[in-house]
Amino acid sequence: MIETHGLTRTFGDNTAVDALDLKIRDGEVFGFIGPNGAGKTTTVRMLCCLIAPTAGTAYVHGLDVNRPEEALLIRGKIGLLPEVPGLYESLSAYRNLDFYAQLYDVPKGVRAERIESLLRTLGMWERRDDAVGKFSKGMKQKIAIARALVHEPDYLFLDEPTSGLDPEASLTVRNYLLDLKKEGRTIFLNTHNLDDAARLCDRVGVMRTSLLAIGSPDELAGMFWGHTTVVRMRRVGPGMTEAVGSLPGVTAVRQEGTSLLVDAASPDDANPLIMKVLISMGGEVLSMGELKRGLEDVYLKLLGGKR
Amino acid sequence: MRLDRIWIVAKKDMAEFRTNKYIMYTLVLMPLLMALVLPTIYLTPVTMFSAPSEPYDLGIVSNQTLENETIQGGTYQNITFVDCVLEDVIAESCYFEGCELRTSLVRSSQLANSTVFDGAVMRSNVLNVTFNNAVASDLRNMGEDTEQESFLFQFIGFLLLFFILIPAIIPTVIASYSFVGEKLNRSLEPLLATPTTDAELLAGKSLSIFLPTMLVTWLSFIPFVLLVNFLAAPILGYAPLPDLTWLIGVFLLAPLFCIMAIALNVIVSSRVTDVRASQQLGSLVVLPVVAVFIISLSGLFVLGPLTMLLMAGVIALVDIGIAYLTVRTFQREEILIRWK
Repeated sequence: MIETHGLTRTFGDNTAVDALDLKIRDGEVFGFIGPNGAGKTTTVRMLCCLIAPTAGTAYVHGLDVNRPEEALLIRGKIGLLPEVPGLYESLSAYRNLDFYAQLYDVPKGVRAERIESLLRTLGMWERRDDAVGKFSKGMKQKIAIARALVHEPDYLFLDEPTSGLDPEASLTVRNYLLDLKKEGRTIFLNTHNLDDAARLCDRVGVMRTSLLAIGSPDELAGMFWGHTTVVRMRRVGPGMTEAVGSLPGVTAVRQEGTSLLVDAASPDDANPLIMKVLISMGGEVLSMGELKRGLEDVYLKLLGGKR
Repeated sequence: MRLDRIWIVAKKDMAEFRTNKYIMYTLVLMPLLMALVLPTIYLTPVTMFSAPSEPYDLGIVSNQTLENETIQGGTYQNITFVDCVLEDVIAESCYFEGCELRTSLVRSSQLANSTVFDGAVMRSNVLNVTFNNAVASDLRNMGEDTEQESFLFQFIGFLLLFFILIPAIIPTVIASYSFVGEKLNRSLEPLLATPTTDAELLAGKSLSIFLPTMLVTWLSFIPFVLLVNFLAAPILGYAPLPDLTWLIGVFLLAPLFCIMAIALNVIVSSRVTDVRASQQLGSLVVLPVVAVFIISLSGLFVLGPLTMLLMAGVIALVDIGIAYLTVRTFQREEILIRWK
């Protein structure tokens, strides 16, 4: 489990992370979203014991990041994929992984086997002896992910794992992360990619110096919006909007082109009535469904952006 | 501190160095230049123009000794002159001790503590003889430590200072790639996230610079000793190297300078974002070595074993101070936040 209690970090007068309280369960994939400079990387660095909190504390696997002797143990249990892969470009892919495996005390007999397994899984085994400097960005990212996993850590911290990758490389990385999720690893994912967060994460935290909201993508949408039904029609006739608005359980109706957007406390109760009244007024209903609010909506709502 | 982790980091760094042509050029060319090329260039002329040190076997048989006399003109053979003034004379197979010779011609003789004005001295043995506007040809020294030998000895000392310069210069090149390169490549962050302590990382990276530097320094010392002995032994009459002073210099002072160079370069590397800037600033570390060069050449002090030990003590103290600063600089939070 990862827990933070009032975790704060300042740099001079600038507060990067302000009193962060989090609890991430074992086996959970937790996404951290927020704009640049929101404190996401600083949080990861504090949790990986790379920088110390100014105030508050955090526990990873029950170990306190503020205690140097426990910080060393934490670093043995985590795998970090930083925003920039930071590989040794003149060394081969295999040598890069072998170096880290040695630092993480992976036994000699297991090392070769594990590196081969990771490289094969990521489709990089054939290129194992090539210098990393010759690789594309996506290939480097795969090696960096393998490096973060070479000691089979309990906790995986990924900072923008698909940033700057082409769609194909991005898909490979995302699919691999889904496999890791199935293995039950605890994953802390910093990302700008809301689609990644929605697909991969059990819960998402929206961050801008402090935590603005936390929950599953659906829970977050529910925090700001009720259920909205979208009724797509061939034509919205006169008086139809008002008629739907007067139905019991309907809280608001607005017209967008040839569609009616109906907010209702209980769509299951309201939708049959809506359909009935529209047909009785001669309306031709093409489709009826629930308006899905995505993480992007939540993100923009919380951070004050516009669609 | 775990030694195996230090060695893992050092091995990785050395593997990287092997793929860096600039580091490899430095490791190969600089010792080659200092240990073989420069000694050959500088010592060969000295040996070419120097007379063999063994005096001639002149077979002089002195029949007569003249003391405190002033001799004007004449031809002399098999005579010993002591404290005489000779002018316009021709002498062969004679001894001259404490004499003054003017416009005279001397051949196959032995001169000691004398002065020759104008005239010429040929194929003779000399000891402490001053020539003033006179021609000297095919002379051999009889003394143990002639001016020429003394110059040669001082010059060898000068060349040996290169073996302190090498361990001060090479770390400047390697450290700039090792620390600044790693910083630019952003490979320090994942490294710092491993369960390795700051001290282990610093020690490992420093060891990876220290080992190849000292290895090439010491390896190049062997051909240097052989070359210098080959060139200088015929003049000096003995092999001048290795001597105790320079054994202390190469095996004690040089590693201490190397440590100083590494530590200073870590500090420099933490403040610059460019390999070349790091090399330029880091190369300032050679200044103390150059100071030793200059002071040694100026003759202010003679580099003996005691001087070397004293210098080693001072550098060791400086090393401790700089190493303390380096440890303070090389902390993961400093590296991630303040290393620019």
